[in-house]
Amino acid sequence: MQRKALNKKDALWLGFVVLLALLPLAPVVAANSFHMHVAILILLFASMAQAWNIIGGYCGQVSFGHSVFFGIGAYGAGMAVVTYGGTPWPGILIGVMLAAAIAVVISYPCFKLSGHYFAIATFAIVEIFHRTFLVWDWVGGALGLDYPLVKEGLKNLMWYDTKTGYYYCALILFLLIFGVVRWLEGHRFGYYMRAVREGQETAESLGVNSTAVKLAAMALSAALTALCGAFFVQYNLRVDTPMVMSLDMSMKFVLITVLGGSGTLVGPLLGAAVLIPLQEYSRALWGGLGGGVDLIIFGLLIILIVVKQPAGMIGIIRDIGKRVLKQKSAAKGDSADGTP
Amino acid sequence: METFVQVLLDGMLNGMVYALVAAGLCIIWGVMDVINFAHGEYLMVAMYVSYWLGFLLNVDPLLSVIAAGIFIFILGAMTYQLIIRYTIGKPGLVALLATFGLAIFLKNACMNRFSPNFLILTDTWLSDKTLHMGNLIFPVPQLVAGLLSLVVVGMIYALINTTRFGWAIQATAMDRDAAELMGINTDRIYLVVFGIGGACVGIAGGIMPSYLAVHPEVGSMFGLIAFVCVAMGGFGSIPGAFIAGILVGSVEALAGFYIAPVFKYIAVFGLYLTVVFLRPKGIFGW
Amino acid sequence: MTHRSPRLNRWIVFVAVLLMLVGFGSGAGSVMAAEKIIKIGTIFPLTGPVATAGQRCQAAVQTAVEIINNKHPEIKVPLAKQEGILNGYKIVLVHADSQGKPDVGKSEAERLLNQEGVWALIGSYNSSVSKPASFVAERMKRIFMCGASSSAALTQRDMNYFFRLAPTDKTESIEFVDVLKWMNKTKKANVKTIGIIYENSEFGKHAAEEAKMAAAAGGFKVVADVPFSPGATNLNSEVQTLKKSNPDALFGAVLGADYSLLVRTMKQMAWLPNIAINYCSGYQDPVITKQLAGDADFFMGSTAYSPQFASLMPAVAAVEKIFKSKTGGVPFDGDSIQEAVAMLVLAQAIEKAGSLDPDKVAKTLYANTWDSPLSLGGKVAFVKGGQNIKAQSIVTQLQGGQYKRIYPEEMADTKIIFPMKPWGKR
Repeated sequence: MQRKALNKKDALWLGFVVLLALLPLAPVVAANSFHMHVAILILLFASMAQAWNIIGGYCGQVSFGHSVFFGIGAYGAGMAVVTYGGTPWPGILIGVMLAAAIAVVISYPCFKLSGHYFAIATFAIVEIFHRTFLVWDWVGGALGLDYPLVKEGLKNLMWYDTKTGYYYCALILFLLIFGVVRWLEGHRFGYYMRAVREGQETAESLGVNSTAVKLAAMALSAALTALCGAFFVQYNLRVDTPMVMSLDMSMKFVLITVLGGSGTLVGPLLGAAVLIPLQEYSRALWGGLGGGVDLIIFGLLIILIVVKQPAGMIGIIRDIGKRVLKQKSAAKGDSADGTP
Repeated sequence: METFVQVLLDGMLNGMVYALVAAGLCIIWGVMDVINFAHGEYLMVAMYVSYWLGFLLNVDPLLSVIAAGIFIFILGAMTYQLIIRYTIGKPGLVALLATFGLAIFLKNACMNRFSPNFLILTDTWLSDKTLHMGNLIFPVPQLVAGLLSLVVVGMIYALINTTRFGWAIQATAMDRDAAELMGINTDRIYLVVFGIGGACVGIAGGIMPSYLAVHPEVGSMFGLIAFVCVAMGGFGSIPGAFIAGILVGSVEALAGFYIAPVFKYIAVFGLYLTVVFLRPKGIFGW
Repeated sequence: MTHRSPRLNRWIVFVAVLLMLVGFGSGAGSVMAAEKIIKIGTIFPLTGPVATAGQRCQAAVQTAVEIINNKHPEIKVPLAKQEGILNGYKIVLVHADSQGKPDVGKSEAERLLNQEGVWALIGSYNSSVSKPASFVAERMKRIFMCGASSSAALTQRDMNYFFRLAPTDKTESIEFVDVLKWMNKTKKANVKTIGIIYENSEFGKHAAEEAKMAAAAGGFKVVADVPFSPGATNLNSEVQTLKKSNPDALFGAVLGADYSLLVRTMKQMAWLPNIAINYCSGYQDPVITKQLAGDADFFMGSTAYSPQFASLMPAVAAVEKIFKSKTGGVPFDGDSIQEAVAMLVLAQAIEKAGSLDPDKVAKTLYANTWDSPLSLGGKVAFVKGGQNIKAQSIVTQLQGGQYKRIYPEEMADTKIIFPMKPWGKR
C-alpha cells in the first residue's frame, strides 16, 4: 500500500514538473518577461526555502543565518567572473564547498544553544559577516562587484535578451533541491532529522548522534543555499553585501518556509508561490505611488496568515480539503473523518 | 587615559539607553517566551509621539516620556490582544514572524503618514547641553536618559519582586497552567506584561528626540541591539539585560575608537557570541 | 486523528500554484498605449533609508513633465511655451520603487521596459541601483537618463544610451582640494591634513577613494579615514576618532539623518576642523538648515542648486513653485533638480531629433549642447560614456542658514568664514 501511494504522489509531481517545464512555451508568459521574472523568482525562492527547510523544518533548528551561506555562494560566482574574469562554474563549486565548511564551523558551537539563544546567535553571525564583507576590499567591499558584458550562454551562465535560459536553470535548481529533500524524506537520515526535531534526548537515547545529524543537515542545507546564491547573482549581474548577506534576506528564507508550511515538501513551494507574486505584483501596482502601500499590505498579510494558520498555507489547504471531503462524504452518507 | 575614560563614559551612557530598550523586550521574553520583533518599531513610534507633542504642543521630550510610555503601553496591549494572544502555545517562530510582519507594517505606515523625512526637535530643555568635569564632557541628554533608564528598570524590578501583582507575573512565567489554577487571570497578566514591555521602550523613545533625529528607520538598529542585550543577560533577567546593555554600549564605544569605527557592531555581536558560547544561557541565565 | 486524502491535497496545491503562475499573467496585463503618448519610466528609492531623496527626485521629474505637457508661458524653460512635444505628443510617467536595492531596481527596469512598454528610463539616485538598471536599458538599446547618481564609474563603462547630468564625485573631490589650495594661497590657511568621514556604502566608499586620490595629487595628507555604518545608533567613536587625529580639513559623504547626527555629535564633543566640506549629500538637503538651525552653519559643501542661487538661475523660481506644491513646500536641492533637468533635456532631444528612434535621439543628445536654465551654468553637453561635461557645482558655505557661494571666486557672493566658528562662540 505504502509503495503504491508513493508512486501516485510522485507521478503527480512529475506531471507538475513537466507542466512547469512547458510553461515558457505558453505565450502568455513567454511574451512578457516580467511574468517570466516572477516565475523565476518563485522557483528560486522556493528552492532557497526548501534548502532552509532541511535544517529549519525537518531538523527543527531555526536558523536566521542562511543569508551568510547564500552570500558566500553569491560571492563565489561573482568573484570568479568579476575578480578573476573567468566562468562562474569554479566559483560556484568553491562557494558551495566553502559554505558547507563554514556552516559546520560556525554551527558547531551554536548548536549548544537552545531556542531563542540559538536564533539570536544566528542573527549575530549574519551581522558579523555582513559588516566584515562590507569592509573587506578583496571581495569588493562596499562597492560591490558588477558583471562585465560577456558572451551569453550556459558557459557563462548568463543571458541578456531572454529569460528562458534563466528559467530552465531555476527549474533545474528547483528540481535538484526538491529532489534531494524528497529523497531525504524517505531515507534513514530524514527520520534521524525528524527524531532530533521531536526531541533531542529521545533521539540520543535511540542511538542517534544528534550533533552529527544536525551538523550534516546544516552542511547540506548551506551547500544548497549557496547554490541558490550563485544563481541569484548570475541573474542580477551584481553582488554587494546588503543585497545578499543581510537580515532581510535571512528573514525571507524563514518567512517563505513557515508561511508555506515548514517541515513539509510542498510548503516552501506554496510559500514562494504566494509570497513572491504578492511582493512583486503589489510593488508593480503600488510601489510607484511612493507611500510604501505594498509593504504595508505585505506586513498585514504576514500577520494574518501566521496568526490564523500557524501551520502555513498547507494548513489552510488541508482545512479546505477537509471541508470539501466532509461535504462529499455527507452526500454519500458516511463519514470520512471516522476512519483511521 | 582621559580619552579612554571619555570614550568609556559615552559608551556606558549609550549602553544605559540600550538597557532601557532591552528591559522592555526582556520582560516580555521572560514571561511569555515571545521575541517581539517589532520592538525597534515601538521605539520609533514613541519617538514620533514625543516629536509631534513637542512640535505641535511645545511639550518638552522630558515630559513627553509619560505620554509616549502610555501610548506604547496601549500599542503593546493592542498587539497582544490582536496578535500575540493567538500565538501563545504555538511554536515560538509564529509569534516572531507575526511581530516581524507588524514591524514592516509599522515602519511603512509611519513612512506613509509622516513622510520619510527625518525630524529634529530643536531647543529642547536638554538638547546639546553638556556638563564639563575637568576635561571630561558629559552630554546631558544621554545622562538624563541613562538616569531615567536606571529609575525605570529599578521600578520594574521592584514591581516584579515586591508586589502581589509582580508575584502573579512570576507565577505565570513559571507555569501558566498552575497560575491559572491558583486563580490568576493569566490572559490579563500577559496583556499587562506586553503593555509594560511597550511602556519601557516608549519611555526610552520619548526622551530620544532631544538628541536624535526621528525617521522611520531609526528603530531597526536599536531593536537588534536589544535582542543581543536580552539574550546576553539571560532569559528574562532584568538585571542581566541592564548589565548586558552597559557592556554592549562600552564595547561598542571602545572597539569603535581603538580598533576602527566600522568594527564597533562586529565587536558587539562578537561579544554576544563569546558570552553565550561560554554561558549558553547568558550571564544571569540558569 | 482525522483522515485526509493526500490525493485531493496534492491537486489543490497543484491548482493553486498554476493559478499563481498563470492567473496573475492575465490580471496585471498592460494597458494598451493610446496614440500620441510617450511613456517614460522612473525608478527611485521611494521606500527604505533614502526614501526622502527618492521621493523628491520623483516629484522633480513630475514637475518637468508638467512643464513639457502643458503651456506655461510664464516659465522661461525650453518646451514650456508649447504643449507637448513632436506636435502634440504628451509624456506619461510610469513610476517604480527600487527600495534602494540593486536587484529590485534591475527587475523594475525590466518590468518598465518590457511590460509597461516605456520608451526611456530616468533614475535611480543610488549609484548601486543605477548601474544594473542602466545595464538593462543599454542591452535593450533604450535611453537611460541619470540625474543624481555621483559614482564616477557609471560613465566609465562606454555605454551608448546612458547619460548622467550630475558632476561626479571625482570632479567634486578635485574641486574640494582646489578649495584647500586656494585657501592656503590666499588666506594663509595652512591646511595640511585631511580627515574623511563617509557612510560605508557604494556612494560613500567611492567618494572617499576619489578624495584620497585628489588629496594625494594635491599634496595633502589624509590622517583620518573613517567609514561608518549608515543608520548607526550613535557616531560617538567616529567623531572621537576624528577628534584624536584632529585634521585641518574634513571631507564628508554623509546622508540625511546621519548628517544631522554627525553635526550634533561634533557639537557635543566640542570638536570642529578648520574647514569641513561635504559631497552632495546631507549637507545640501534644504531641510537641514531648519532642523539644525545655527549648528549647521559654517559647514561647506558642493551645491548644484539652492534657492539662494536665484540671481544665477532666474528661471528656476517659477519651476520651483510647481515642485513645492508636490513636496509640501520643500524647495529643490542639488540632486532633485538634476532629475528635472534630465527629463527636460531628454524631451528637448526628442523634439530636436524629430523622431522616437532611440538611436537617433541618443545621437542627437551627444551631438548638441543643450540650453538648460535649470542647470548651473545653463548648458548641458555629453561626452562619450554619457557624462555631462558642463556639470558644475559651486562650493558653498552655510552662513546664517543661507547657502552662500564661496568658490570658484568669479561666482562667489560672500567671503568664506575661516576657520569655522567654534561651538562655544556661536
